[in-house]
Amino acid sequence: MKYLPSRRAFIAVSAASVLALAACGSGDESSSGGSSAAPAASKLVVIITPSPDNVFFKAEQDAAAAQAKSLGYETLVLSHDDDPTKQSQQFDTAISRKAAAIILDNAGADASVTAIQRAKDASIPTFLIDREINKTGVAVAQIVSNNAQGAGLGGQEFAKLMGNKGEYAELLGKPTDTNAGVRSKGYHGILDQYPDLKMVAQQSANWDQAEALQKTQTILQAHPNIKGIIAGNDTMALGAYAAVQASNKKDIVVVGFDGSPDVVSSIQKKGIKATVLQPASKIAQMAVDQADAYIKAGGKTDQPEKQSIDCVLVNPDNADSVKDFAVAGS
Amino acid sequence: MTDTHVAAPAPTAAPQPEEPGSTALARAALLLLRGRTLVVLVVLIIIFSSISSEYLTQSNLILMTKHVAINAILAIGVTFVILTGGIDLSVGSIAGLSSMVAGGLLFKGLNFPGGTVFFSVAVVILIGIVVGALVGAVNGLLITRFRVAPFIATLGMLYVARGAAQLHSNGGTYPDLAGTEARGNTGFGFIGVDSILGIPVAVWIMVAVAAVAVVVTTKTPFGKHIFAVGGNERAAVLSGIRVNRVKIAVYVISGACAALAGLLLTSELGAAYPDTATTYELNAIAAAVLGGTALAGGRGTIIGTVMGAFVIGFLSDGLVLVGVSTFWQSVVKGAVIIFAVITEQAQQRLQSSLTRRTA
Repeated sequence: MKYLPSRRAFIAVSAASVLALAACGSGDESSSGGSSAAPAASKLVVIITPSPDNVFFKAEQDAAAAQAKSLGYETLVLSHDDDPTKQSQQFDTAISRKAAAIILDNAGADASVTAIQRAKDASIPTFLIDREINKTGVAVAQIVSNNAQGAGLGGQEFAKLMGNKGEYAELLGKPTDTNAGVRSKGYHGILDQYPDLKMVAQQSANWDQAEALQKTQTILQAHPNIKGIIAGNDTMALGAYAAVQASNKKDIVVVGFDGSPDVVSSIQKKGIKATVLQPASKIAQMAVDQADAYIKAGGKTDQPEKQSIDCVLVNPDNADSVKDFAVAGS
Repeated sequence: MTDTHVAAPAPTAAPQPEEPGSTALARAALLLLRGRTLVVLVVLIIIFSSISSEYLTQSNLILMTKHVAINAILAIGVTFVILTGGIDLSVGSIAGLSSMVAGGLLFKGLNFPGGTVFFSVAVVILIGIVVGALVGAVNGLLITRFRVAPFIATLGMLYVARGAAQLHSNGGTYPDLAGTEARGNTGFGFIGVDSILGIPVAVWIMVAVAAVAVVVTTKTPFGKHIFAVGGNERAAVLSGIRVNRVKIAVYVISGACAALAGLLLTSELGAAYPDTATTYELNAIAAAVLGGTALAGGRGTIIGTVMGAFVIGFLSDGLVLVGVSTFWQSVVKGAVIIFAVITEQAQQRLQSSLTRRTA
């Protein structure tokens, strides 16, 4: 097609830069860099995530694409909108374009397995980020943030902010999403240890901001003595905080999960009290780095398949050093 | 609210002479069926207030009515469309788009080569509504000029408008719509957060929209034309009604109502995000159907639709208030809608048999 010449030039430049990188690197793998660059059209990294509507996934996309470009790859960034069928079609695209690797934040722990297997059969390695699948040995790596550990951090901070006592409500994520359950379990692992902390309402707001607003308003009606609201993610925390602001009980503690820029800036303004930052950018970069190493090693990896990256608590003490889902210096 | 009666010059509206005796029971049943939305609402209030003492408090009633307002305004717009025999699936997306347009104007202004311009809140709200009306006009043109079926045209627009909302911010959220004094654009919270005489502004807006809609549908020639187009389009054409104009107008009204609802939601949230009001079109259509509007067109009332929105809102909030799980909320809501349509059918049968008997 029309863009072939420029693409050829791009491949040449990127191959050269890979060689240059390899040359100034440790040197013991320099031969593999050249050999894997030899087959044509294998410099494409396909990045598939849920909708970038949520800044979290946007940060993932951006970090992965930037890292792939800096390593000399061409990128194709797609969004499956949490639809496994759409994701499957996007895998077909990746396969027909002979991608070198796929970086995937998947659309379903079970529903994604066949598509990843299909890519594997076509010798295209898939590196999972953020969400796991219910099968091992299909993807090369599954790099996820440790939601259970993160929820533990969030639960501890919430209990501390509540003074270890009083009534609270919990906003759950989308019931079909594994992380919604993992986070809730993590919260309760801590909160249920305090006999004076009493959960008086638990509702799903489907990760949605407006739904969280309305449900929180109704919950506050039903339980006027609520002192805190713990939410399964940051968009729901923002909705809950809007409801708290509109009520006459502005000292209600709101805690979220994700570390999104909007919530971090709310923490800086003494609005929402805390959130748990998932190192989305770091995980996306790691996946690309490992994909690159895997390609250069001719289809081998020295990393375990399941990798879990710890989350970081964000509160007014460190909110100033958070940017794009990363805490400076971590 | 008992007036789900045919409000148009349709054939079944023949005067029914009173006849005592055998039909008295049927008449009573008919009256109950006509007022079923109100009956359901009363039953809901009785059930929930017996479970939770917080349900029937002044503050909760005001809050629930505020939640109802957004769906009611969407549903009023959709009712205009359904009365003509059409359907508008794009209202949720239009609400999202106007929300993003208004959010963008407040948060980052409008960029010109010479610099950035910020508009006052009133102008922003007006622009938001005009955007909705324009999208509605496109729907209307697709349906009249290009002869696309309303279901398809507005289904397409559901995707187009949602995509446009996402494109507007590249998928991001406009997080802070408070505005600044320097830009002269503070006060967006007025329509969604503030109250007048203890009643939320959003509720006053709903009342105003409903009042205007009632007058338009029952007292104006345009209103009669809407029912005529929905009742029998061919007859409407033959009687000289400009059917295409009526149709375009109802989609414009629907788009404008959707935009207004989106703005209320955004104002209350204090943030605009592209997924605002996703799937709200279904709640709006459900409210219209619950209120006795026939999907085939030609029959229904604005008051019925508003009552339908109250039933849906009071039901959803009640289920949340007493702590029912999300899954059951969904099941119960669906069951109530189906039940409503069944009683609607029963009403139709009873009414036509009564008409036959008394004729």
